[in-house]
Amino acid sequence: MQRGEIVLEDAWRSFSPRGDRGRTLKELLTSLGGRGGRGGELPPTHALAGVTLRVAPGETLGIVGRNGAGKTSTLRVLAGIIPLQRGRAACGGRVATLIDLASGFGREFSGRENIHVSAALHGMTRAEVESRIGGIIEFSELGHFIDAPIKTYSSGMLVRLGFSIAAHLDSDVLLIDEVLAVGDEAFQRKCLRHIRRKIEEGVTVVLVSHAPGTIEAACRRVVVLDSGRVVFDGPTAEALRFYHRMLGAEDATQAAAREARDGAVRLREAALQDGDGRPRQVFAPGEPVRVVLDLEARADAGDVTLALDVRRADGQTVFRSRAPVPTSGGGGRLVFEIPRLALLGGDYDLPIGIHEPGDTAPGIDRLLSFSVTSSDEAEGIADLRGTWTFSGAPVEVGP
Amino acid sequence: MRRYGYLFEQLVRRELRQKYKGSFVGVLWYLVNPLVLMAIYGVMLGPLLKAVSQSDYPIFILVGLLVWLFFAQSLTAASTSLVDQQALITKVAFPRETIPAAAVVVQLVPFFVMLVVLVPISLGIRGNATAWLLLLPVVIVCLFALTLGFSLIAAALHAYFRDVQPIINAALLPWFFVSGVLFDLATLPGLRSHAWLRPLLRWVNPIAPFVSAFRALIYGGRFPGVATIVYVAAVGAGALALGVGVFRRLSPELAVVI
Repeated sequence: MQRGEIVLEDAWRSFSPRGDRGRTLKELLTSLGGRGGRGGELPPTHALAGVTLRVAPGETLGIVGRNGAGKTSTLRVLAGIIPLQRGRAACGGRVATLIDLASGFGREFSGRENIHVSAALHGMTRAEVESRIGGIIEFSELGHFIDAPIKTYSSGMLVRLGFSIAAHLDSDVLLIDEVLAVGDEAFQRKCLRHIRRKIEEGVTVVLVSHAPGTIEAACRRVVVLDSGRVVFDGPTAEALRFYHRMLGAEDATQAAAREARDGAVRLREAALQDGDGRPRQVFAPGEPVRVVLDLEARADAGDVTLALDVRRADGQTVFRSRAPVPTSGGGGRLVFEIPRLALLGGDYDLPIGIHEPGDTAPGIDRLLSFSVTSSDEAEGIADLRGTWTFSGAPVEVGP
Repeated sequence: MRRYGYLFEQLVRRELRQKYKGSFVGVLWYLVNPLVLMAIYGVMLGPLLKAVSQSDYPIFILVGLLVWLFFAQSLTAASTSLVDQQALITKVAFPRETIPAAAVVVQLVPFFVMLVVLVPISLGIRGNATAWLLLLPVVIVCLFALTLGFSLIAAALHAYFRDVQPIINAALLPWFFVSGVLFDLATLPGLRSHAWLRPLLRWVNPIAPFVSAFRALIYGGRFPGVATIVYVAAVGAGALALGVGVFRRLSPELAVVI
């Protein structure tokens, strides 16, 4: 097995939904006597149901999927935290695991003392910890708080500490679980830069995230998991499109009642495209975006109003636009063209609703989603990038 | 495995610092518990009840407590150790035995503090320093092996089955009374009419021969006997082997069940 290589072969892992508390001593003794022996009335849930995955050294792999799709279990299996019930899992070389960065610290002890325990937990020796502790403290930007007890830290500070330790581990394989979703944005950016540097150094990275933006920024290949199975494995852009379609299909079933109302005007096709008319799900700030909607109209159709929203993942509407569409003359292609996408990194929903005259409750006919990659030049949600000058001379905006 | 030596050291230190942090008599606290127990039992069973008439009875009791407290406190601390460190177990893969083993090693500190105080006092008062004392390190290693073996089993079982710790707690007090800490099991007056109980009391309870071995060396200044030494070595090694075996069997699933 090569350093940095990852192999999962027909990996199976299920969990008893009753958890440990339902386990009886009798069951335990039977499982001591031989393999298996797990009884129980409820069927076990399959976190991994025959996952086969091969990651070459230096490759960057993203794993996406809904909650409970098996993303975290896959990562824990690769990290050696959870054993497989069937199949094979192996990682070549040293593995660094970034799971739950803010947990596992001794609350009574200082950040510095916790660095020692935590680094040792990841397999560092005394000499390694002592030579790196300066760098770890500096990376964490915790300053003099490093000597204060952890119980005085905010959750953001804990994540800073956790990531800083993990960042200084020697590893051939880096397994990262959702950790970038916490902490302040500036530090998140720093972590992402650090991960990119590791990638450049040839470290194999597996990144689990709910945020397609993060995945898009770091990974060249993405695996989509659903119910413990690999349902897609391919280049990032295609995989994210697949994933959005998979989620969109669900939202469409939620909106089924509305579609079934059999309106005179129906949305046959809805897609996002880039400036050249190619379908896209992930955009960079400032790129042109086209929303292309194919409308079908029955002969008796009147004019409708089309409502288009852009919402942040937390539900906040960032933008809303309504357009009266003269569908009384028949169906056609409606295009909404955004010359410059003025959004910064994040995941967005784009609900589309057709409102006919007399509709009392406006609804959603289709839900598109897209992600915007983060930029080193700016933070926030709106892309208001401009130019700086100092005494008339242009100023370079650095990361 | 060697890579994790520093982790082990850190876990032990962290535990030690946590235990007596902020108490300024520090290490002296290690002696308070056995001294209080010794005083109470010594006065009650000796002059008051007149149940035991050992010479230098306080030293007799303290030698028993030395063995018993190390065993019992290790078992208590180790049994919950894995569950207490749940956050570590579910986030990183590392040899899980380091956690209960660290809990036992921490208990070596009070053990040695007590040993260092007790042995010179016993030799001074009873004046029976003999070459047999050289066996003491061997018996200590065997006691450590026994305790580590039991602790590994208790810790792993408790992670699966949270009733293990309460069961251990409930068992420790009666266990204490049959382990010969307060009296010599071989010469109990009642055994004259129930002779069949004598081997049961002496050999079925694994901790009893350890108490009598330590007592023979420190208090009696004599050889504990071939049978006792063989027993102590065999049971120590056997318990450790069993403990490691059970732990290896149960530990892979710890992150799932804990």
